Order: sequence, then structure tokens, then C-alpha cells
Amino acid sequence: MKSGPVEYAVEAAEHDSSSSSSPRRGLSILDFVIRVAAFVGTLASGIAMGTTDQRLPFFTRFIQFKAEYDDLPALTFFVAANGVVSAYLLILGMPLSVLHIIRTGVTKSRVLLIIFDTVMLALLAAAASAAASIVYLAHKGNPKTNWLAICQQFRFFCRRISGSLIGSFGAMVLLAALIILSAIAVSRRPRG
Amino acid sequence: MKDSTSVDIPETSADARGEAPLFTGKSSSGGGIIYAHKPSSAQKKGLAIFDLILRISAIVTCLAAATAMGTAEQTLPFTTQFFKFDAGYDDMPSFLVFVICFGIASCYFLLSLPFSIVSIIRPQASGPRILLVIFDTMVLGLTMASAAAATSIVYLAHNGNSSTNWLGVCQQFTDFCQATSGAVVGSFIAVAIIALMLILSGASLRKH
Repeated sequence: MKSGPVEYAVEAAEHDSSSSSSPRRGLSILDFVIRVAAFVGTLASGIAMGTTDQRLPFFTRFIQFKAEYDDLPALTFFVAANGVVSAYLLILGMPLSVLHIIRTGVTKSRVLLIIFDTVMLALLAAAASAAASIVYLAHKGNPKTNWLAICQQFRFFCRRISGSLIGSFGAMVLLAALIILSAIAVSRRPRG
Repeated sequence: MKDSTSVDIPETSADARGEAPLFTGKSSSGGGIIYAHKPSSAQKKGLAIFDLILRISAIVTCLAAATAMGTAEQTLPFTTQFFKFDAGYDDMPSFLVFVICFGIASCYFLLSLPFSIVSIIRPQASGPRILLVIFDTMVLGLTMASAAAATSIVYLAHNGNSSTNWLGVCQQFTDFCQATSGAVVGSFIAVAIIALMLILSGASLRKH
């Protein structure tokens, strides 16, 4: 009876997908829509931060005054983390989400998505807030440590890096909502 | 009974094939195939007890990180009456946010202990667990964000930045730098505990 459990599993999956309850399918569709929005947000943030480059018109013989995202490690981390999260959403998150719309009975892959979403939420929160603290310093500076605000000189750079935080923070909220949605979908009884 | 009338409940359709005994949730394969395995009450209770232990350790770790940062201050010996060379956690907004957020997190975990105990007593109830998942997600985001913001400031204090002409201050404020760095390290341990707690809650919510 080695094929017995496999038979039962296939039966159970088919049975669940054929009689899938509409609240669960609605949850899965909402999950997919939120995932697409989060993907767009992180992609836009990564691109917006990654294309920053401002060179000031005055320079001396030895120093050129420029600002790029890779001058500040926190901003580099921000670009990398947004790239990782958008790649995860594109390659793993959205296909698995589509699978959950088609077959609403599976829970193992939903738990896998919960695990990955938690890790990605932590990564994105870290990157977004590290970049936010650097952007705050760029705007205000710090008198105690004698760090001067650079926004007066690098205006375009400052506007860019401030705006690119928005998509990332929005995607963070959406990822948190995704975790909660997945947890609710997992905890429902098989018949809805 | 071997004839296959269409029934609605998956367990009895398995019974029609003789796969599993009646009225139990356990599979005949003993957990080898993932779809047929349902987490039992004992397993959920075990996960809930581990969750309680993680919660208590999260209280302790968050509190330790908050107090380590909150008590970090240093006044340099060449302070005069007119020029004070001192550094405290409230000089940097990131450190202030760090102390506040980890204080909030440790209070939250203290208040969430009753819900965790309820989910030990009633392992199959999913209401308290979902509530804890919702709030744990928010607290994970909050703590990770404040830990990372403090980390970027600590990095700047150690290394400075040549492009923006910010100098590292750790050469002068050595004790302050050490205390804040230690607090940041402890905060990442707290975030790892919170993330593990969230994953376990999600895994133990499975009903089938």
C-alpha cells in the first residue's frame, strides 16, 4: 500500500479544489493583488534609489563634489534589499499565490509563504529604516557630532532619496498584511 | 464499505478506501506525506509551550536592549563650563526611537503572555493565535526598523563618511560607542526571537 497515502493526497487536493469555498478563493485573490502591489513598490523604490547621481557644478583640482547611492552604505543596502524582495515576489511569491487561487486546499506552501514573507518583511524593514535615518541626517544633520546637512547643496539627490522611501515603506505594510492574510487562510477549516 | 458514494468530508472518503480509521484526524502514513498529516493537539500544545518560552525570552532581550541604549551616556573630561562635550541617547533621534520602540515591544510581550497561556490550554483554538500573529507582525516590523536605524547611526559613528564629510566620533566617545554597539547587537537577537515566534505561530495554525 505504498501508493495509498499518495492516492489519498491527490484525492484530497482534487476534492478540495473542486469544492473550494469562495471566501478562501477571495482571500487568495486578495493575496495575489497585494503581492503585485508590493512588487511594484519595491521595484520602483530600488530603481529610484539606484539611479541617483548628482554632480555639483563646482569642483576643485582634487575633489569633485558628487553624491551617489553607493557613497552611503545604508543606501546601497537599501537598493540591494529592495532588489532581493522584488525578485522574491516575482519568482516565488506571485507564482505560489496563483497556485493558491487555483488549488485553495494546500497549506504547506502557504506556511512556506508565511516563513518567506516574515524574512522579507524583516529585511525590508531594516533596509527602509536604515535608509530613512540616513535621509533624516541628510536633511537635518546632527549638531552634537558635527555632521552637517547635505541637502542644501545636493537638492536633487536629497529629493530622490526621500521619495524612494515611500514605495518601500508601503511595501512593508503590504507584506505585513500578506502575513496576516496567509495566517487566516491557513487556520480556516478545510470546508471553509 | 468499498463502494464510493460521494461524501463531503475528506476523512470519510479515505475511510471508503480503507486508508484510515474512522473519526481520527491522524493519517495512516504517520506523517510521511504532507497533505495527509494534520497537526495533533499534542503537537500544537508543544509549539504553544515553546512559543511561551520564546515570548518570555523576548521580554528579557527587548528590555535589555532598551536599557543598554538608555543608559549609554558619556561626558568627556575636557568639558568646560561653556562647552559641554557629552553624548547621550537622546542626542540622536534614531537612538531615541530605539529606546522607545524596544520599551513598547517588551511591554507588548508582557501583555501577550495571557494569550499565549490560553493557546496552551486550548491548543485547537485559533482565535488567540491569529490575534497574536497580527500583533507580532507589527512588532516585528517596528523592532527591526528601529534596530536597523540605530545600526546605521552606530556604523556612521564608527566609520564616518568621506563623501558627506561626516567624521566618525568613536575615537573620542569610546564608552558611548561601546554601549550603543552592544545594545544594537542585543536588539538583533531580540528580532531573531520575534521572527522565530511568528513563524512558529503561523506553522501551528494549520488545521489540515
